[in-house]
Amino acid sequence: MLGELLRILAAAIITWLLFVSVDIFFRLPEKGGVSGASAVARDIQAAGGDIAGGTMMGNIVSSPDASAGTLLAACGVYVAGIPGGLIAAALVFIGNRICHDPGYAGTTGAVLATFVVYGFTQVGFAATDFIAGMVIAILSIQGLSHLHASRLLARLWRVRQ
Amino acid sequence: MIAPYLVAVVAVFAALRAILEKNTGRKLPYANVMNFAIAASIVLLLNHPLSLVAAAAYFVGSTLEANAIASTYAGGRDQ
Repeated sequence: MLGELLRILAAAIITWLLFVSVDIFFRLPEKGGVSGASAVARDIQAAGGDIAGGTMMGNIVSSPDASAGTLLAACGVYVAGIPGGLIAAALVFIGNRICHDPGYAGTTGAVLATFVVYGFTQVGFAATDFIAGMVIAILSIQGLSHLHASRLLARLWRVRQ
Repeated sequence: MIAPYLVAVVAVFAALRAILEKNTGRKLPYANVMNFAIAASIVLLLNHPLSLVAAAAYFVGSTLEANAIASTYAGGRDQ
């Protein structure tokens, strides 16, 4: 049981790095994809957070991004291996189009995550570790402290710029 | 396997924070975490290829709802 907990923790760190780098690469903190994303960003800024980090968090709320791609790809690998992960990527792309988003971040994240998760299942990890790990990773950004998360994301975004 | 229990705890925690948060814009990221956790638990509880479709449908649907709530809250389209 302790082993599984440690694996979930490791998976959370891996998925966190994966989705944050893909989202920042695709410039999610730059501007709100829809007006709702900017509204979330403004409220986070009003509470003392950073506007760039808040914008990325607003974009995560408004459309399936790399974090959603990673979660669904891990689910796909769990139920059907690599084909499952790629089907998840296709579903994320459809989701992006429904949410009025070009869909590059979500689809790229899902495809990358498919191979990352599959690779780790070959060295002792279970796909379920990555499903739970991704939930912990998104909790750390969206569910603990909006203030600190938005500032951290803004600092990473400035590095990208 | 503790993954489903962990995910369920995260879902309840995020739901409580969404309820307790007063600001509408800041409720949505908490609800987003809850949606992640519920989509994950669908697949964790039911290991079947169609669970993936169910989880994706749930997740995309809930994201679209969050998108609609946030855009309405923002007052419509960006000019």
